[in-house]
Amino acid sequence: MSTTDTNDTSDAGVGNTDKTGGPRSPRTTAGPGPDNRGGPPLALRASGALLRWRTIDLLTCAFLGVAFGVAYWAWSLAYQPPSTALATVFPPLQGITAAPWLMAGVVGGLVIRRPGAALFCELIAAVVEALVGNVWGLSTLWSGLLQGAGAELAFLILGYASFGVGAAVLAGALSAPFEAVYEWYAYWTDWGMAYKVVYLLILTASGAVVAGGVGWLLTRGLARAGALGAFPPGQEQREARAV
Amino acid sequence: MSSLAGAPVRVEHLTWRPFGRRAPVLDDVDLRIGAGERVLLVGPSGSGKSTLLRALGGLLLTADSGDLTGVVTIDGRDPQSVAGLVGLVLQDPGSGVVATSVGRDVAFGLENLGLPRDAMTGPVSRALREVHLDVPVGAPPSSLSGGEQQRLALAGALALGPRVLLLDEPLAMLDAETAATMRAVVSEVVAARGLTLVVVEHRLGPWLPHVDRLVVLGAGGRPVADGAPYDVLARQGDDLTSAGIWVPGRAEPEPIRLEIPWDSAVVATGEAVVTAQDVTVRHRSRSLATRIRETVAVRDVTLAVPAGRLTALVGPSGAGKSSLLGAVGGLLEPAAGTVTWAPELALPDQTPPHRLAPVDLARRVAWVPQRAASTLIARTVDDEVLTTARAVALDPGVARARADVLLDRLGLAHLTSADPRQLSGGEQRRLALAAAVVHQPALLLTDEPTVGQDRHTWAAVMGVVGSLRASGSAVLVTTHDAGVVARADAVHTLAAPAHRTEPPTATAVPLVARAGPLSLLAAALLVLPLPALLHSWQQALVVVAAELVLGATVLAAPGPGTRPRGRGRSVLRRLVAPTVGALGVGWSTWLLGGHDVAVAVGATLRIVTLTLPSVVVLPYVDPDALSDHLAQRLLLPARPVVAFSAALGRFQSFGALWAELALARRVRGVGGGRSPAARARDVGGTTFGLFVGVLGAAAVLALAMDARGFAGADRRTWAGAAPWRRADTVAVLLGLVPAAVAAAAGAAGTLGTVLG
Repeated sequence: MSTTDTNDTSDAGVGNTDKTGGPRSPRTTAGPGPDNRGGPPLALRASGALLRWRTIDLLTCAFLGVAFGVAYWAWSLAYQPPSTALATVFPPLQGITAAPWLMAGVVGGLVIRRPGAALFCELIAAVVEALVGNVWGLSTLWSGLLQGAGAELAFLILGYASFGVGAAVLAGALSAPFEAVYEWYAYWTDWGMAYKVVYLLILTASGAVVAGGVGWLLTRGLARAGALGAFPPGQEQREARAV
Repeated sequence: MSSLAGAPVRVEHLTWRPFGRRAPVLDDVDLRIGAGERVLLVGPSGSGKSTLLRALGGLLLTADSGDLTGVVTIDGRDPQSVAGLVGLVLQDPGSGVVATSVGRDVAFGLENLGLPRDAMTGPVSRALREVHLDVPVGAPPSSLSGGEQQRLALAGALALGPRVLLLDEPLAMLDAETAATMRAVVSEVVAARGLTLVVVEHRLGPWLPHVDRLVVLGAGGRPVADGAPYDVLARQGDDLTSAGIWVPGRAEPEPIRLEIPWDSAVVATGEAVVTAQDVTVRHRSRSLATRIRETVAVRDVTLAVPAGRLTALVGPSGAGKSSLLGAVGGLLEPAAGTVTWAPELALPDQTPPHRLAPVDLARRVAWVPQRAASTLIARTVDDEVLTTARAVALDPGVARARADVLLDRLGLAHLTSADPRQLSGGEQRRLALAAAVVHQPALLLTDEPTVGQDRHTWAAVMGVVGSLRASGSAVLVTTHDAGVVARADAVHTLAAPAHRTEPPTATAVPLVARAGPLSLLAAALLVLPLPALLHSWQQALVVVAAELVLGATVLAAPGPGTRPRGRGRSVLRRLVAPTVGALGVGWSTWLLGGHDVAVAVGATLRIVTLTLPSVVVLPYVDPDALSDHLAQRLLLPARPVVAFSAALGRFQSFGALWAELALARRVRGVGGGRSPAARARDVGGTTFGLFVGVLGAAAVLALAMDARGFAGADRRTWAGAAPWRRADTVAVLLGLVPAAVAAAAGAAGTLGTVLG
């Protein structure tokens, strides 16, 4: 049991130099394909060329987006009581119950690890949520775009090379500000500026913890469940626990 | 023969080790298949048959990763070098469906090739004719039966003119009659086109007249027997049988004997454990735009399930066997009729079966669905087997003893600390069965338990079933396996429900439905700037009124035909959630805005103006047309749009998966707790299961799509047109109305204050 724990932390390290080859990195996609021909192991990066989306990347991103959309639609029905309770205490605390919506971009980016993955996933989740019929209708699309763009920015800052807990937390945090500013303008128009700023800070913090932390845990759980065989998170997990 | 004739296949030194396995699945495999040869590929479970098939199609790295060395060539070329060179049909009907109409699905490969729209109709109708699929090209694939869906998949592969056809257990999910039809169609097509055929199948016998060569795989995917079918079987029949292969002409395997310490039965043998009287089950399917369709799955069926007996439910697919199983077991609520337990099992307050608490339900019923992976909850195999036993508070020593015997005899003893989701499909099925019987439920429901099993695992599964039956529990099985039916004490046949073809009445189309999806989305999005324009609640009220008038206008359906029903009701239903949300915003505004009611009302109304257009418009956005328009009008990149549209098309099946997962948790006695923590764990577990299932579906679909040339289809054409009509321009103009009204109301307001 303890060996797997150390493997986990080494897989998740942001500063891990496994990019150039570490003792545990598996070779990815070696074989007939335009990819890694016996070059240095690329354990943490996306499988294959960074900008070349494979079919499995597109479908996984889209299907993840739809799954998140379904979950988000359910959450948009269930979040009212806790949200109203928080609002009664202190309205900007509603940023806490809004945090789950920031998760799709984080998870999309962590799994697929390509430019555009976070944005695509969050956008599809927003479309599905809107089409099924949620509270906010089509303005959900705009929210999804802003949140996805924020998460995408985080991964861009890290050069699409780092995908551990730190990256997840950063992505979760950065997907909040754009959304918060939009909400200032659309929903919380009548609040004072101080409250608006507090809302942004709360949303950013819960984005970091909930969307980043839970999103990272979800990705790791999915990798452990063997659902991410074609992706780096799955590859890392499976080699660590080879059967 | 024309250039469409079969191509020779060469495999040289192929080694494939997926990450996560210590030993390679395919170990230095060599194989040569001649042009036009028809090969049957068999082997015991775990010998890598499906993997080798995927290797022949060049699809190993499509949905998986690992170490791959060696060469596979089709007529000297890489299998993926030419789109559609290799056609693939998968085991699960419907798993490779890409579009929402039959014709569109067949045309998918042609779109990837970049054929012009007019050139597609010919090959599509030819392919549909070849597989004898006589359905309208606009029919949705979900309305087809399993056999028809497999033929649809075959037509989709044929439309591209393949030279090699690969079939991965195409008949496993079909009943005998449908399977025979499919086999005949395959034979005919292969003969007419002269294709090279490679079929992987467990049940050899029926395929033997249709193939020229039998290849038996052993460990590491290496052929251990190869030659003319009857010769191989005559020479090595005994070895093959002892390896677990279904050699025709041999005796049926004997179910294994299990020594499990059961308790004495609760209900006397022969007495009905549960009786279903005149039960009708309705099936509601909900597609993305709230078109809820209700079909009758089971009509007026009476069934008594006796204790200590094995009852088999047979019938063609679509006859409602799974629904009846669910109704009898208390998993679903029947639309009509009653389901009653034996007196020994009934609860004191006469709760109907579908309302039982999870633990009470788990004591009485165990359920193993067709998708056995849906019931897997725990982190290790050992925990999985003991989950329900712990939930019903079975004595730990007894549970341990039973679990040990089951794990050992079902071949899972070496996997006790493995994650259940890492197991192969067959292992997961056996694990789900073991986990279902440890606590000795009074009734066991299994849906197709013997699909895809070799002789040994078949014997193990039937051994468990037999042991439970002997202990006095009732077993209800849906199956199309003749061996299971032969061992059943009672067989109940369900006929397919008669399709009531209603004459299509011409319904008038509401005005809003006449506009395409892009213009509708644009119209609904044009309200986004409204919050900047609305400064008072009176202004917002005027805009809301304008939007209501506009909404009522566009929902009107003038013209010939009957009025469409339920438009107003649907709008009201969709308005509930947004109204609650708007009130929530108003509430926080009131709290923070100095308890000013006018400001709070203004905030509420502002949200209503934002959400009202979406409520009216979104049900009429057609998801299929949406992707056509996105790609052709907005010129978004083609492949992401296709992925988006394929995912949208699966929405309904994801909802069904969620329901199945939630139900499985309930049946296993886990979940249903009232505390927030228990609810959170329930929802978390079900959501996680949904994600795992969804990702699996993505991987399978990626195989099917890449086999039809999707991998390189950056420049592709579209079978559906994306016209921009006058109605679209009108829709966009109408979308500007709320903003215009807001501006006008604002100006009038300022004017009023200035003058007054």
